[in-house]
Parts: sequence; C-alpha cells; structure tokens
Amino acid sequence: MEEDEFIGEKTFQRYCAEFIKHSQQIGDSWEWRPSKDCSDGYMCKIHFQIKNGSVTSRPGASTHGQTCFPMEEAFELPLDDCEVTETAAASEVIKYEYHVLYSCSYQVPVLYFRASFLDGRPLTLKDIWEGVHECYKTRLLQGPWDTITQQEHPILGQPFFVLHPCKTNEFMTPVLKNSQKINKNVNYITSWLSIVGPVVGLNLPLSYAKATSQDEQNVD
Amino acid sequence: MAAATGNPGLSKLQFAPFSSALDVGFWHELTQKKLNEYRLDEAPKDIKGYYYNGDSAGLPARLTLEFSAFDMSAPTPARCCPAVGTLYNTNTLESFKTADKKLLLEQAANEIWESIKSGAALENPVLLNKFLLLTFADLKKYHFYYWFCYPALCLPESLPLIQGPVGLDQRFSLKQIEALECAYDNLCQTEGVTALPYFLIKYDENTVLVSLLNHYSDFFQGQRTKITIGVYDPCNLAQYPGWPLRNFLVLAAHRWSSSFQSVEVLCFRDRTMQGARDVAHSIIFEVKLPEMAFSPLAESSVDLNLKLMCWRLVPTLDLDRVVSVKCLLLGAGTLGCNVARTLMGWGVRHITFVDNAKISYSNPVRQPLYEFEDCLGGGKPKALAAADRLQKIFPGVNARGFNMSIPMPGHPVNFSSVTLEQARRDVEQLEQLIESHDVIFLLMDTRESRWLPAVIAASKRKLVINAALGFDTFVVMRHGLKKPKQQGAGDLCPNHPVASADLLGSSLFANIPGYKLGCYFCNDVVAPGDSTRDRTLDQQCTVSRPGLAMIAGALAVELMVSVLQHPEGGYAIASSSDDRMNEPPTSLGLVPHQIRGFLSRFDNVLPVSLAFDKCTACSSKVLDQYEREGFHFLAKVFNSSHSFLEDLTGLTLLHQETQAAEIWDMSDDETI
Repeated sequence: MEEDEFIGEKTFQRYCAEFIKHSQQIGDSWEWRPSKDCSDGYMCKIHFQIKNGSVTSRPGASTHGQTCFPMEEAFELPLDDCEVTETAAASEVIKYEYHVLYSCSYQVPVLYFRASFLDGRPLTLKDIWEGVHECYKTRLLQGPWDTITQQEHPILGQPFFVLHPCKTNEFMTPVLKNSQKINKNVNYITSWLSIVGPVVGLNLPLSYAKATSQDEQNVD
Repeated sequence: MAAATGNPGLSKLQFAPFSSALDVGFWHELTQKKLNEYRLDEAPKDIKGYYYNGDSAGLPARLTLEFSAFDMSAPTPARCCPAVGTLYNTNTLESFKTADKKLLLEQAANEIWESIKSGAALENPVLLNKFLLLTFADLKKYHFYYWFCYPALCLPESLPLIQGPVGLDQRFSLKQIEALECAYDNLCQTEGVTALPYFLIKYDENTVLVSLLNHYSDFFQGQRTKITIGVYDPCNLAQYPGWPLRNFLVLAAHRWSSSFQSVEVLCFRDRTMQGARDVAHSIIFEVKLPEMAFSPLAESSVDLNLKLMCWRLVPTLDLDRVVSVKCLLLGAGTLGCNVARTLMGWGVRHITFVDNAKISYSNPVRQPLYEFEDCLGGGKPKALAAADRLQKIFPGVNARGFNMSIPMPGHPVNFSSVTLEQARRDVEQLEQLIESHDVIFLLMDTRESRWLPAVIAASKRKLVINAALGFDTFVVMRHGLKKPKQQGAGDLCPNHPVASADLLGSSLFANIPGYKLGCYFCNDVVAPGDSTRDRTLDQQCTVSRPGLAMIAGALAVELMVSVLQHPEGGYAIASSSDDRMNEPPTSLGLVPHQIRGFLSRFDNVLPVSLAFDKCTACSSKVLDQYEREGFHFLAKVFNSSHSFLEDLTGLTLLHQETQAAEIWDMSDDETI
C-alpha cells in the first residue's frame, strides 16, 4: 500500500480519450462533454432499457423531479387515423445515465449515475438496486459498494447518485500492481469501470480490454 | 395494422408518433430558469430537442429534451437530429389547464405550412420538425405538468401505398447500401451537421447519390415519374415510418406532385451494434403523391379555358408542352409581372423570378403583382413578393423568387475580395437557375444586364425570350438556339460565310433556321457597358407608354407558346412579315424571330436577323472563352470597359476598317 495508484487530471482525460476512441469504434455511445468554460468535462453514456415489470414506479416516493400528468380535459384532437397506436408505451422504458468525472480530492475517477422514466420521473435508489443482478446483490451489502450516496453533479449542478470514491484507490492499487507485474499496459478507466460498472447495470464489452493491449502492440 | 404489406395500392400509410423524453436535467433547468430568469414572464421561449435513428429494436421513437434545451446554440449530440420548438410555461395550474391548445396547435401548423409554401423549409428542413411544449412547474412540490405536441399537417386523404414497406436489404444490394452510407456521411460532413433530417436520393445499380432539398430541381432533372426521398427516421418498427416523415410528405406533395406521380421513401435508420454499422434495417416503400387539397378542383377550373381551346378552335394544340415548361423570369418589374400573369393564363406551373430591387411606391400601378402595402417599410424584395403573389393567385403554381443581382459588363466587381466573391456566387446561382429551367425570359431594364444570361443560356442551349421597351416601341424576340454541342462545334458560328452563300439564291431572310438566328446583341457594333452612368432619371428609368409593357409581355409569352407548338421548338425556321399569307407552320400560326412594335402607328413588324459572327454575346469566340475559363473570363468582362469584348470578338478591327473606308453615310436600309 506504500505506492498508491492515484492519477492526475491530465492522465484521467487521456485515459478517457483513449476509452472514447474505442467506444466510437464499436458504437456504444460513450462521449466527452466539456463543461461550459471547457476547462474540464466528463465522459458520459446514456442507455435505455425496456422495463420487464420488475421495477415499479412509485409516485410520491421519489425525492426529486416528480412528474404528474394533467387530467383528461375537453380538448380533443381531430381524429387522425394516420397514427400508429401499437407502439411501446413510453413509461416502460427506463433511461440510465452514466457520467465519469474526475475527483480532485481523491485523485481518482468517480461514477455518477441516475435512472428515470422517459418523462423525467427518476427511479429511487431502491428501484435501481432492485434492478441489479442477483449475483452482485450479496457483494453489494459488503465490500466497497455500500458507499452509494446522492450528491450534486459538480458540473451540471443536478442531483445524481455517486459511487463514493473513498475506496477506489484501495481496490485499484492491487489491480494495477498486478498488471505492472506481468508488464501489461492497462487503461485505468477500463479496469476501474469494469469493476464498478456492473453494480449499477453498466457492463463493458470485453473488447475494451483487448483494445488496450492492441494499442500496446501497435506502439511496439 | 396488417394493412401495410401484401396489398399494394389499397392500404394506406400510417406513422408512429414520438414519445416525449423529458430528461431530469430538463426539469431541473426549467426550475432554475423559472426561479431566476423567467419569474412571472409567460412569453413563449424557443427550445431545442433532438431525436436519434440508431436505437436498438423495441425502443419507442423519442424526442428528447435535456438541460441544454434552453440553449439554442448548444451542440446537437453526435449523429442526432435537432428539432426546434416553443415552450409555453404558465404561471398557474389554472392557466395551464385553460390554455387554448387548439390555437397554439393551429399557429404552429400554420408556421410549418408557410415554411413549405415559401420554400423556407427547403432551405432549412428543421422547420418541418416543430414541437410545442406547454408546462406548469409547481416549484413548491416539485410537480411538473406538461403537454407535448408535434404538429403534423394532414393531407386531405390518407396516402395510398403503391409498394408496402420492406427492409432496405431487400431492395438494395450490399454495394448500394455501402454507397448510401458513404454518400450520406459525406454530405453530413460537407454540411458540417450531425445528421440530415431530410434528403433526396438518386440511385442506380452501382451508385447512390444524396442531396440537400434545396437542390431538388437540378437533382431531379431527368427523373420521370418517380423520385426518391430520404428521411432520418427515429422509428424502429418494421412496418411504419416515424412521425418526422409526415410533414415532409406534405412538402413533397406540395412541391413535386405536379411533376411526379409517386415518391419512394427511404426511412433511414442507422445503428451501430458491437462495432458493426447497420442501415440495412432501414425501410423503403412507395406512395402515390396526392394532389394538394385545393388542386384537383382548382386546377381543373384553371385549365378549363385552355381545354376549351382544344375543342374546336385549336384541336391539335399540345397543351402539355406549355403547361410543363419551366420558366425563369429575369426581372420582376413591369415586364416580369405581365409575363408571369400571361404564363399563368397559359397554365404554366413552374415560374421562378430573379430580381434585386425592392418594391417602391411608384411600382404597383404599373406592375400588377404588387400592392400598395408591399411598398411599406422600405418595400419587399420584388422577386419574393412576386412569387408569393402567384401562389395567392393560384396555390397550385410552383413559384419561387431569388433576390439577387446579375453581374453586368462595365460594372466592375473587383472592389474587394468580398464583392468579387459575391459576383462569383451570383454567377454560379444564375448558372444553376438557367440550367434548371427550360425557357429564360430576359425582362430587365438595362441592356447590359441581359448580357450574362444571354451568354449562359446560349452556352446551355436554352430557349431565350427577350423583351425590351422604348417609349412607344418595343422588341420581343427569341434568341437563336445554337445547335446541340455534340454535333460538331464547327457548325456553330463560323458559318457566317456559308450562311451568306446559302442566302444569295433566295430572298435574303427567308427560311432561316433557328440555329442561325441572331440574339439581342447581334445587331450591335458596340459591346454593352454601363448605360446608367451620366444619365438623367428619365433616361435611366424605363419611361414608356403604360400599355406597352402589357403588350410586349403578352407577346413574349405568346411567342414562347408558338415556338413550343412547333415540332422543332427553338430550331424552328423564323417566320417573317412576308409569311403572313402563307400556310402557318404551327396550329397557332407563325413562329417569328422578332416582333417589333410601334405604338405610335399601332403597328407590328416581324423582322428576321442572322447571328453575327462578331456578336458580343452569342458568337463562338465569346462562348468558347466562357466555356473554357468560366468566371475568370466573366470577371474580365465585368471589370473592363467596352474594349475588352470588342477586341475579343473583332469589333474593334471592324470599327477601324469601317473608318478607313470612310463609309460614313450609309444607312442600314442601303446595304445590299
């Protein structure tokens, strides 16, 4: 533990750029969004899932941004038989948003995320955890995973859930040490996201790991 | 539901609506704006959303608004298509409930319809994707009420499917699909946009071309009955297109139903899964283009008088040749207005105006397309106002206006790189316009402004009808139409000696075929230059007897119609005054080269003149230079005095020889 694996902000952005480059190749929609003054920014991905009935909405239980629909009223649109009526109902789709930011205090990347219905009604933390796969649930209750809190997004100023970065260094150090030992070039972001992502439903395709080692070969 | 496939010709087209996707960030930002910026302000606000055509199967088509929706200059996410809308945020729940949604919807629909009619939607297709959002934010309880609406213009009847939707891979080969991807990407890149909401497509077995909407006339040139259009489609359903197509089809029906019977629609869906791009799941189908609501009845009434002509008076009249002709009117003044009205009378449906002037208070009394109100506030641009007025007179007409200047010889354009660049653009635009029309009318008020279009039209082998006014005299003429280019350039103009030999036998001006006829500049021995310099107002303006423009304008159109009725069109042998007693060459009578009118004597004559091998506009020397050097040559003409063109064509030499021979007193009538 004497040599901790912190990364600087420049290094963070370089890793992100590398990560996004591969994402663009395989089209899984990670992108860089700069802040207003462009001095910093964050990496983000939006993912949609069609609800399978396991998640239920609970109006009133959510903490923020609840949406209500107006009651039916007299205004009626003219009859339009050119409209398809059999489309999937919007309420069954859930939008997951993942943001990767840099924490200056901890000098590591931080995962911000939130989930909502298409009208903006957010899912509660409980709803999200119910959506997490069984195999992670037991681990969630121990380990470094009990540190999910709600915080303000430092760039957007909107409430997000955060995987708190206080343990990040703790579990990343052995990972990086190990890869150094076998002389393998790794992208910090790839390794880190592949560990923390699945907890909140974010799975990284294996090709990210391959991409890093391929780049390495190309450099040689 | 099961209607879409299998039963071509019977089923109708249905569209999958958008779901609104209002991001948490959007509500958050709305809260901030309401608290800090809007406060009690209920005025409508512009907002911006986007949609995406790369979703995996099963997701509904969404129009997304994020926190960035309030920033109209915010970038659109990669590969997404922007949509602009209006936010009505009310102060109370009560006013949210009582808001006149029908009125809002009608206003928005009208804006879309206007943008289709004016052509603004062709230039900026995003205008077709308008949405409305009515909200009330209860900031105490964090309750948000909203009503989202995407107005769609309805065609009077649902659209009959000629060919039901199939996957693109069933219609296109792998090679064509690749070519489509490539052409689409390239156009996005050259336009610097994240996506193209609507585009035009042309394809054959090996190539696929795509183009922006505003280039439609060039792009569709040569297409016969069917055109292909592309729409960026957020829908995922294999049987239905998404909502954005609806307003586009209305535009297509409005713009193109007069020229084409059906439209093939490609709903472009473009997703990348596991690193592999897939557009093959796009769908493609064909619908019959409906006539617009007013058209069927109005159009048949408009054409009634014309059709009746064919009953008894002129049974062999070929109306289609007249009705389908595309006319470009250079000049929308006294002559332009009268020509346009006469063209409308003949049922011509495609009329384009070019003019750079604004309507002034002296215009409406003589120029029948303008009214007093058009002069207010500095005056509307003539070309645009004239096109609008034609639409009002008959909505079925396809009228457009271009507010632009035509560069002229002796009017330098090289003051700065900006003026030079502007002239280059003007020339390019004029070339495109002439290319995409069949008949070019020269109706300007100066000699020199006719030079450039005369050269371009001669080079492109377009029929030119020229009308010019004096105080009580006028000339209306068709320019000689050069032989098609592939038929040996040698025939074109150095034929002067040959022509003279031909003619010695018979009467000097009998039986001159269209390709040997002169143009407006052929009778001149000086090149056009700045004719407005050093002139008083009455010399600069067209001061003519008020009836003259109507007579000349009407004759210009009637001359065009007679030419079109001749089987050889612009190559028709010119009729002269001597032919008045002979058997006429067309069902409508003579096809003269020129009509010169003298109002003082209430008399017209029909002279014929030959192309002049030293002509400053249509001689092969000028055309060759123009075709070889393009704008470089034109710029030299604009920037220099008369002598440049005169040197080039040999007029200078001619002047010197004439002077040397001292033939001062010979008038035209006395030449042999």
